Amino acid sequence: MAIRRTAEPEEKVEVLRIAAPETQVVATPESAPKRPVLNTPKKILPSGMSEAEAIERAKGGDGGCFEALYGLHKRRVYSLCLRMTGNTAEAEDLTQEAFLQLYRKIATFRGESAFSTWLHRLAVNVVLMHLRKKGLPEVSLQETLEPAEEDGPKKDIGSQDQVLAGSIDRVNLERAIESLPPGYRIIFVLHDIEGYEHNEIAEMMGCSIGNSKSQLHKARMKLRDLLKVTRVERAASKR
Amino acid sequence: MNCAEFQRDLPLIIDTGGIEEQEEHLRSCDVCRGLVSDLRYIAEQAKLLIPMLEPSPKVWDGIQEKLKREGLVKPVQARRSGPA
Repeated sequence: MAIRRTAEPEEKVEVLRIAAPETQVVATPESAPKRPVLNTPKKILPSGMSEAEAIERAKGGDGGCFEALYGLHKRRVYSLCLRMTGNTAEAEDLTQEAFLQLYRKIATFRGESAFSTWLHRLAVNVVLMHLRKKGLPEVSLQETLEPAEEDGPKKDIGSQDQVLAGSIDRVNLERAIESLPPGYRIIFVLHDIEGYEHNEIAEMMGCSIGNSKSQLHKARMKLRDLLKVTRVERAASKR
Repeated sequence: MNCAEFQRDLPLIIDTGGIEEQEEHLRSCDVCRGLVSDLRYIAEQAKLLIPMLEPSPKVWDGIQEKLKREGLVKPVQARRSGPA
């Protein structure tokens, strides 16, 4: 079965065969057998095939469909890895690892949740496992539980500046998130960007729900400080 | 209620809204109103961050390479059907 690079459709076809010798490989969506539709959003791949169909075929060892799923989800998985680690090289390695695990585990996907939800949870686990191996979460979690005086969010009593509304652009927000201490950053990314609930984060991180809530609040306060500094610097550079 | 008392309960106020006493403080205090507004704004903006960045092509190359090395991918001649 042929695999064509997603980003370079005109490139010479590279051929890979994924070890599933008994799988009936179907070349075109038109000739594909009718399969029950999984409980996933109806995303349509460039080939015209639905995501659910590509998942079913990838389960059977269809490398082209696996690559199509990679093309569909690589940005979100990579962005998740990048935001959680703040490091491009690590994010690329972790994206690779997440999709390798996807390949090994895709047959266990039963469609009980959306495929993207399942894949992103898998990717989060890959990143958290990596960070645990590096020893970062323990350190940063402790830091965020008991932040140093100069590092923690400050009470905002008696000072009033302009509110942030309307002054944040995507680039500045991304930069500010990147410069958060790791423990703050992970919780913020998981909750405010990826949309996980505190109970899910607590389970994944091995901390209490209260701890997750407290760290999220500290992360937002820290971000606010960082964004205000950015705004002051930008204003100064315009003078 | 003063600012310190209000800000002690801030995480709950941001997530679920405050009780009457807190709402009253919010109406009368520009500092705390600005703070709540900023934190809600940050949370809203974060939800709008879309995954824009694409991993380099070497990520997919690495995936293919590893699958081959692990024997999960077979060479072309083992295929049962012709190329598309």
